[in-house]
Amino acid sequence: MRMFATIAKLLVKRVLTAIPILLLVSALLFCILRILPVDPAAMSLPPNATVQEVEAMRTEMGLNLPLYQQYGIWLNKLFHGDIGRSIHFRQDVTSLIGSTLPATIELAVIAMMVATVFGLAGGLFLFYVRGTRAEAVMDFVSILLLSLPEFLWSLFLLLIFGVFFEVLPFTGRLSPGFERPLVTGFLLFDSLITGNIPTLLNALQHMILPCLALGIALSPSLMRVLRSSLLDAYQDDYIQQARLRGLSEKRILIRHGLKNAILPTLSLMGVQFGFLFGGTLLVEIIYSYPGMGNLMVDAIRNADLPIIQGAGLTYCVAVLVISIVVDSLYLILNPKLRVR
Amino acid sequence: MAILPTKNPILSAQNLCVESVGAKESFPVLTDLNFSLEPGKILGLVGESGAGKSMIGRTISQYLPKGFAVTKGTLAFDGEDLVSMLPERRRNLLGRDIAFIPQEPLSGLNPVLTVGQQIKEHLLRIGLASGENWRERALKEFESVHLPHGAALLEKYPHQLSGGMCQRILIAMAFASRPRLLIADEPTTALDVTIQARIVKLIAEMQKRDGTAVIFITHDLRLASQISDEIMVLYAGRPAERGPAKQLFSSPAHPYTRCLQLANPTITGPRRGLFILPERMPGLRVLKELKGCRFASRCPNAIEACTRAEPPLADIGPNHIAACIRTEKTPDIVPPPLAPGREIASARIHLNGEKLTKAYTTAWSPFAKRSSFKAVNSVDFSLGEGEFVGIVGESGSGKSSLARLVVGLDTPTDGRITLAGRDITANGNADRAYRREYIQMVFQDPQSALNPRRRIGSIVTQANEASGLHNSTRERMDRAAELLKEIGLPPDAAMRFPSQLSGGQKQRVNIARALCTLPRILVADEIVSGLDVSVQAQLLDLLLKLRDEHGFSMLFISHDLSVVRYLCDRVMVMYRGEVVESGRTETVFADPKHAYTRSLLAAVPPDDVNAEWSPVLAEAGYQVE
Ligand SMILES: Nc1ncnc2c1ncn2[C@@H]1O[C@H](COP(=O)(O)OP(=O)(O)OP(=O)(O)O)[C@@H](O)[C@H]1O
Ligand code: SF4
Ligand SMILES: [Mg+2]
Repeated sequence: MRMFATIAKLLVKRVLTAIPILLLVSALLFCILRILPVDPAAMSLPPNATVQEVEAMRTEMGLNLPLYQQYGIWLNKLFHGDIGRSIHFRQDVTSLIGSTLPATIELAVIAMMVATVFGLAGGLFLFYVRGTRAEAVMDFVSILLLSLPEFLWSLFLLLIFGVFFEVLPFTGRLSPGFERPLVTGFLLFDSLITGNIPTLLNALQHMILPCLALGIALSPSLMRVLRSSLLDAYQDDYIQQARLRGLSEKRILIRHGLKNAILPTLSLMGVQFGFLFGGTLLVEIIYSYPGMGNLMVDAIRNADLPIIQGAGLTYCVAVLVISIVVDSLYLILNPKLRVR
Repeated sequence: MAILPTKNPILSAQNLCVESVGAKESFPVLTDLNFSLEPGKILGLVGESGAGKSMIGRTISQYLPKGFAVTKGTLAFDGEDLVSMLPERRRNLLGRDIAFIPQEPLSGLNPVLTVGQQIKEHLLRIGLASGENWRERALKEFESVHLPHGAALLEKYPHQLSGGMCQRILIAMAFASRPRLLIADEPTTALDVTIQARIVKLIAEMQKRDGTAVIFITHDLRLASQISDEIMVLYAGRPAERGPAKQLFSSPAHPYTRCLQLANPTITGPRRGLFILPERMPGLRVLKELKGCRFASRCPNAIEACTRAEPPLADIGPNHIAACIRTEKTPDIVPPPLAPGREIASARIHLNGEKLTKAYTTAWSPFAKRSSFKAVNSVDFSLGEGEFVGIVGESGSGKSSLARLVVGLDTPTDGRITLAGRDITANGNADRAYRREYIQMVFQDPQSALNPRRRIGSIVTQANEASGLHNSTRERMDRAAELLKEIGLPPDAAMRFPSQLSGGQKQRVNIARALCTLPRILVADEIVSGLDVSVQAQLLDLLLKLRDEHGFSMLFISHDLSVVRYLCDRVMVMYRGEVVESGRTETVFADPKHAYTRSLLAAVPPDDVNAEWSPVLAEAGYQVE
């Protein structure tokens, strides 16, 4: 009971602090992009528009008002879910983000799951072989893995499984000819609840390579943190004391060792997940994956300010949400933070 | 060996040897251990740090450190050999028939599990409960160790409890299965004196209830003699002496036992000098090359004959054996005369505190009302020139908070501090500079107080950096050499790193560092706790010697009343932030006026083995737990 109260308190506190952060980020995004030497009015008109036409457009878009007024107007629209219209795609930014965000979330979540599985298994293995020759080998391997970035993994995997063995698809989310159910926008989820198994399987196949690439790139640091936290925990008296009470090694590892060692690992996962959210960019490009990363690249290439602003804000919200979730989990798992 | 067991021993060791069997070198950690322990008896294991006391417990559980193994002899539990026994069988005994109580109660419990989860796990494993009735059983066990509010306790996490409560829980767990053998490895070292007394009495009570045989490991010979039936004194992995507790303590046969006894200051009777055991126990690697008596290098009675062959453990009385060829000379070892007491005639007051108060307020939070409590409450004190004043009290009584106010790490909420006539209460920048010239602090834990990446020479002269004086390398090197000489370290120590020194040496460096700029006042917070009595005696005499040379005064915080009695001219007794009694040390200790002082003094095991030790087990109003 007390735990829920503490978590509720944490949530209230974090949401309250999130508001000024979001305001600050939005102001920053707004200002920086206004300072860029790009004229939104000129960009939203055909190249042969006259100076008068541009000027009229500027007035219409409110670009002649003082900066703070412009910000106020922009913020007001934001509250009503209107981030503006994409100049390049000629579409509402909200709907653009709405159609790409779910794809990125699915990619990030599954990649994180892959990283967790690899990270925990690898960390346990590293711990298990401690002090043996296998440890030195594994240590070397994990450092090697750690030093390869995710886009190299993407390319390797793509070349090996996609091009050379031709066993897995490597562009987009679905092969042509598959029906795309639309309920929430989350493809995997939607095909699952509509019972569209062929689509589900095909979509999953498409996700294998990008998720593997991201997961493999993230897992080595998880492995190493888990291993070293386990080693730390095993230095502590309570492990020795549990042995002296005659508990089995397996029980000691799971109930006493892992339960303590998981805490530092969890906070690293939180950080990684935040990064992952913005870090799928290169992988999305390599696999032509229709997510936020690709949208962002297009927007930058075309100096499409509303999209950049919208994507930036989305990213900020996502990171805040993730950190709140991780902190609540931490609170559940670490009683020391729960006092009073 | 002349010990003829009358009953079947529960634990017996015969010629037990434990060695490091590393790839490159091998050396013994335990040599020729012979003992047998009968049911219901308590064997006290005494010796300096590194003597191998804990190694015996580890050998029993067979959780030896990596690279160590039993190479000779047998160790039998109820007739069954523990060493050659199948691991499964041994694991079955652990927690059921053989129980352990650890040194650090707080870290002996898993921090992320509740007390209830942990005791449940144990009760279910040993089959004392099944399903939901573990709760009832747990509460019953808590009751027998006198833990109140058992039901609420089950929901608590270890960090929400005091050390004494955690130790009671661990004792309850250990005795839940009515074990036949209990190994308690310094179970009270980390606790306050009064709580220590209660825990020791509790172990004795439980032991009597179940007829458990106990191995009680401690470095305090006086404590061991109070609660044990038999004592074994270990020196460098080999028994130096073994005998009935009272007899061994009242007439020790081995010089080492005698020296240990005389190195510890007394709590009653006239004050006497401390016997200073020189140097340290030889390292295990050195031992292998050593011929003759391993104690010879430190023994006051050593003669040439001692270095020829290792003296055998010979009978010197009923059930009493010692490994020394000149036991008849042992009573000749006497403590040195007490350094003449200093008369604080001048009574020039250096430092003065009036109604000092430090209140701590909880951090601001939108959800809770801020509360405040007074760590130091209206304390008056003074420190005269050349005077050593002791501050005693339980943990949490405000001793360290007061020290922090004195050295300026904290600013008082209320009251006044004057230093040599100047008011330094405000603790501004000028006050700090002024204070730094007068006062230096020696911290409790040399391990964390010394920067591991700096050489000793640079550490001890660190204060010069702040003052800007004598800051050339040459001058600092010279000063470092001087300081090291004063504290009795070899000159080459200047180039070493802290990790290359022993605990006692580190504490010396810690003291040297504080003395570097010749302060007039030292504030020392528990600087000898956790050290061997031999090292403690060396440090206490070092402080007295340095005072004779430099004439500084000292605020000496300690929970060890005997040490304070030996060292300090005056004493202040603190309880819950207040000074409840103060005066000349001898007067206060001989005739304590306040009930709290009396309970502190009663908690110290008496010097006379035949005197009855009756600590106040629970006095209304003075219970911290
Ligand atoms: N894990 C280890 N690896 C190597 N040597 C060890 C290890 N643990 C203990 N030793 C050595 O074994 C010897 C005996 O150590 P032990 O811990 O039994 O001493 P002790 O008498 O319990 O000392 P203390 O009073 O400090 O607890 C010491 O010389 C110590 O250096
Ligand atoms: S044998 Fe000699 S050196 Fe050893 S303890 Fe006895 S007197 Fe001292
Ligand atoms: Mg020990």
